[in-house]
Amino acid sequence: MKTTKPAADGLLSSAKLWTLTFAPLCWAAHFLASYLTSAIYCAKYAPADGDGLPIRIAVALFTVIALSLIAWIGGIGLRAHHMGETKLPHDDNTSRSEQRFLGFATLLLSLLSGVAILFTALVFVIMETCH
Amino acid sequence: MHQSSFQSALDTAGKGAERIAELFYWMAGGATLIWIVTMGLAVYAILSRREHSVRMTRWLVIGGGAVVPTVVLAGLLSYALVMLPELQRPAPEGSLTIEVAGVRWWWRVNYIDNTGRRIPTANEIYLPVDQPVEFKLTSEDVIHSFWIPSLGGKVDMMPGRTNRLKLHPTRTGVFSGVCAEFCGTAHAQMRFRVVVTDQQTFDDWLVGQAQELAERREPSANTDPADVHQSAAETQAAIGKTTFFSRGCSACHAIRGTPADGVVGPDLTHFGSRLSIGAGVLDNTPENLRLWLSDTHRVKPGVQMPDFQTLRGDEVDSLVHFLGALK
Amino acid sequence: MNDQARRLLEAWRTPKGWRYWSAVNNSEVGLWYTITAFAFLLLGGLLALVMRIQLAMPDNDFLTAEQYNQVFTMHGSVMMFLFAVPILEAISILLLPEMMGARDLPFPRLSAYGFWSFLIGGVFVCGSLFFGAGPRGGWFMYPPMTTQYQNDVGADIWLLGLSFIEIASIAAAVELIVGVLKCRPPGMRLNLIPLYAWYILVVAVMILFAFPPLIAGDLLMELERALDWPFFDATRGGDPMLWQHLFWIFGHPEVYIVFLPSIALVAMIVPTFARTPMVGYGWIVLAAVGTGFLSFGLWVHHMFTTGLPGITIGIFSAASEAVAIPTGMQIFCFIATLLVGRVTKSVCLLFVLAGLATFIIGGLTGVMVAIAPFDYQAHDTYFIVGHLHYVLVGGTIFPIVAGFYYFYPLVTGKLLSERLGTIAFWLMMIGFHVCFFPMHITGLIGMPRRVYTYPAGMGFDNLNLIASIGAFVLAGGFAVFLWDLLRPKGKQSAAPRNVWNAGTLEWLAEVPDQPWGVRSIPIIESRYPLWDQANFVRDVDEGNFYLADAEEGLRETLVTSTVEATPIQCLRVPGPTFLTLWAAIFTGGVFIFGTFHWYFAASASGGLAFLTILVWLWTGTAIIPEKPQKDVGLGLTLPTYVSGPDAVGWWAMFITMLGDMTAFMSLVFGYFFYWTVHEEFPPADAEGPGVLWPMISLVAALAAWGLMLLSRRLNDRENAMLFYISTIASIALACLAVGSLVGGPWLHEMDPTVHVYQASVCVLILWTVVHLLVGVVMQLYCIARRAAGKMTHRFNADIINVTLYWHFMVLTTGITALTIALFPLVA
Repeated sequence: MKTTKPAADGLLSSAKLWTLTFAPLCWAAHFLASYLTSAIYCAKYAPADGDGLPIRIAVALFTVIALSLIAWIGGIGLRAHHMGETKLPHDDNTSRSEQRFLGFATLLLSLLSGVAILFTALVFVIMETCH
Repeated sequence: MHQSSFQSALDTAGKGAERIAELFYWMAGGATLIWIVTMGLAVYAILSRREHSVRMTRWLVIGGGAVVPTVVLAGLLSYALVMLPELQRPAPEGSLTIEVAGVRWWWRVNYIDNTGRRIPTANEIYLPVDQPVEFKLTSEDVIHSFWIPSLGGKVDMMPGRTNRLKLHPTRTGVFSGVCAEFCGTAHAQMRFRVVVTDQQTFDDWLVGQAQELAERREPSANTDPADVHQSAAETQAAIGKTTFFSRGCSACHAIRGTPADGVVGPDLTHFGSRLSIGAGVLDNTPENLRLWLSDTHRVKPGVQMPDFQTLRGDEVDSLVHFLGALK
Repeated sequence: MNDQARRLLEAWRTPKGWRYWSAVNNSEVGLWYTITAFAFLLLGGLLALVMRIQLAMPDNDFLTAEQYNQVFTMHGSVMMFLFAVPILEAISILLLPEMMGARDLPFPRLSAYGFWSFLIGGVFVCGSLFFGAGPRGGWFMYPPMTTQYQNDVGADIWLLGLSFIEIASIAAAVELIVGVLKCRPPGMRLNLIPLYAWYILVVAVMILFAFPPLIAGDLLMELERALDWPFFDATRGGDPMLWQHLFWIFGHPEVYIVFLPSIALVAMIVPTFARTPMVGYGWIVLAAVGTGFLSFGLWVHHMFTTGLPGITIGIFSAASEAVAIPTGMQIFCFIATLLVGRVTKSVCLLFVLAGLATFIIGGLTGVMVAIAPFDYQAHDTYFIVGHLHYVLVGGTIFPIVAGFYYFYPLVTGKLLSERLGTIAFWLMMIGFHVCFFPMHITGLIGMPRRVYTYPAGMGFDNLNLIASIGAFVLAGGFAVFLWDLLRPKGKQSAAPRNVWNAGTLEWLAEVPDQPWGVRSIPIIESRYPLWDQANFVRDVDEGNFYLADAEEGLRETLVTSTVEATPIQCLRVPGPTFLTLWAAIFTGGVFIFGTFHWYFAASASGGLAFLTILVWLWTGTAIIPEKPQKDVGLGLTLPTYVSGPDAVGWWAMFITMLGDMTAFMSLVFGYFFYWTVHEEFPPADAEGPGVLWPMISLVAALAAWGLMLLSRRLNDRENAMLFYISTIASIALACLAVGSLVGGPWLHEMDPTVHVYQASVCVLILWTVVHLLVGVVMQLYCIARRAAGKMTHRFNADIINVTLYWHFMVLTTGITALTIALFPLVA
């Protein structure tokens, strides 16, 4: 076996692993933003009848941003998953297969995060006030 | 020892409880179905000698693992979200408002009448049937939780906050409420009775509760001299009243219309009309009251009321008469 | 056995006699850890039986109210903190290196320290029960009951004893994260990692972010109990809700922290008995990662009845429904795998099936209680008791029992009995459901949780009696299982190697097991190398792969890159020592003496702990190797010393500081939380720290950080004199930062006991000051290392890691200073 030159490693070269977390991080950001905005609004600024129009608009905005980001990340994942031969289960001992696997997992996580974001948004569609 | 009264979230007598029970039955049915299908598949997978194709099972993962749950959960969530605002919404302006404070380990109750006057009572709540009622819930010490299962969901009583709860009884009867949040030693014995009556009975009851002791104790002109028994009881009650003050009960308990104005313990002005003793622990009978007065800490370990084991038997008897007569 | 093998064996030999307890190797520490956690499970189970005796009859007086409250508090605390979390760490320490063909985890002494801390803390907390001084505020310890109404030592024992264990858990999490990321065998790319390792990676990261909020909460509560800082006292502006937020931000992820590792065991067991690779590997990774994230968005569903706005309840209800999706997905992957393969039956699989059947019910009732309206009724009733036991027993305990049957031959070389296993299975299965199913009904007909008794005639009587009978049948099942584990097996012939014919690396273990773990560290080309790679076992055994020798007599393992798993370092891991035991004893002393307010003894113990840890670091870390690189076999030469992001130590510091920042951010959250609950925050008449002093501290900390960066550069340039000057200047500035942080409140005469505003400013300052002082100690350490010749421009791990710490310090000081100085101006 040939001598392998030790590869450099660290935060940046492990970036491929971090891409897995982007979609759920979008969900987390959307979730926290929606929760904190509505909690602070309802605690400090809401009128007596608890009218929630301002937060509903805000959350609609958050949702559009978060879903666009997720669609973009999911798209990257999908392309990586389709790169070359798409055959699952991506268990070859090659860098290619590893990339396809990560792409597939990223895609699935994007879908899950998207659903979770829609669930949060659903709350603001159905409920009209703080109460 | 205990009067049985309804405390079941499934034996409903209020609008909230009815809707939630219905929701429960639907969910329980759906859950049973899902469990049977999933476990059936799992058992079949283990027992089956056939090797199934990976392609087929991948559809199982996508369908059973992803698509179906997402759709079912989205539907259930929407249903719940539609239901939520109605449960959360305050009772309409002008509805009966009752303040309840959790105190270790009993309930301080104040009715607010149309004039804004507070009418205090404790450990018992009367409600008119078919009327929404708004509760304002607070705590004077630790966190408690106010729950009348037959009428609807529970809400915690937090020190420093006032929480609210709307209930809407739909049938008359005597129900039981409990503290649902662990609050220390006697948490298990922090209970209360809820009496749902027709509007007339409720109104009469509230008028009665508003009265002070003196208002009711006008000298009766038509005392029948033959009724010696009655007057003996009255004598006993008079002695009991003296005992009540001499033994220091008034330091903690109020009896409106008398100098007794303690606020640490429950208001006893209409104690005799209540259904239970010690925050729903015992039925209000003379025997139980005697037991409570002579051995308080065995009946309700941890109770904040001091032990009055030094009371003589005749003192206990007189107190029982006196308190029992506070209708 | 050839010379190579003999040398390797000598290097990894387990110490004999009383020195056995100085062992730090994962196979010893992991075993002790597992046994201890299992013992706590049995204790927790006995406490449960005591409760079931009390509740078998109405108005029973077997226990007094106070005894019962201690028992149920300890049952919950023991099961969560002393069994469920530790057992996952224990099994992972024991098996994870084996699954990855590593000789050990990267920080064996840290594992040992964690274990001893766990043992000492656990015995201390449980011991209190036998003196009638046990905590009695429930495992959730809600204030103000636990701050103002329980003046005995019980609550302090809970707070300090368990904080100690939580810190040990975080240490284990750091170890496991670095282990999975950096200690995989060459070729084990991300798409080939055993599923167990994926799960453990997710879980360890969750621990890292979930435990610190609780530690922050513990700190606040202990400050209120010991020093009367009114964080949870409503009369002085405090709010008990903050504790609930912090507790459940920990408490809900906690459920998944204990559930996912057990599912990870199932994910190892199922393919083995289905004789086929796991179907939906990618889906399972998705589910693990997705659950890990979503589980942080559920905490308020434990607070649905606290009177929060409906919209908040809706948001958390939605997230709680969403988390069911990835959870269910895993179950369907397991079923799919069983469908694809031809299943070999075994007791392991019976317990997996028991786990599924039970857990699915728990999951479905979980979906029900996540629906807020239903929770209004079910919350704090026996319905929840039923639900949570279905989740935890089905999702954790049954899979762990399956794991015991599966891995027992690997660890001991003997098989457990299939016959006894089947008996145990039926007893546990029947006992469990008879015990816990009726509780759903008991709860719905109105029985609240945590009651020491209930009146007769409410419909609770029969259901409780049935539950109690079931509990004893369940206990009988455990007794049979325990007997199977402990019965003498001397006559029984040894189990064959890889007895289940599994495909993953841990089954390379020889019978009897050798202390070296694997004879040589293999190159991986498949998810199931034992199934797919030709002549694999023979090549490993013949030493045809890496590190088949220990020429220098040192313990060595490979470090590989995070993604592609290419070898980057030959890591020397430390051997046996008693230092870790002493360090744990002394650290334990701080917490234990502190509980009883014996502050002199606590300080002395703290000083000794500090010295012991210094000696440990000084003699055991960043050792300059005798040669900069070495041949690890197959013609590959690797460095023996690396620093910066290539090094495991750097990763450990980075990860630890992420956890540390999480705890700090929880305190900052507290400050802003009080702002949201008060009309006016800070209160108009309250003294603040002013603007000037916090700003001075900010500037001083920035300058100290800048000089630290300069020191690192100077060290790299071998400019010793300037290095010393710069570092000393940095220390001086750090001390200035500390002084001015303390100066602000001091000069403004802020009294933290007056109002929660002052208290929350002071706690931020306290946190920052302590951290800056630790930073100063690290700087002094670097000076000493340099002076002693243990740190040079080439061997510079110490200063690089200290600089990394200082990056976080400047962040901490900055956030503290800006918050306390500027926020009052904008609020």
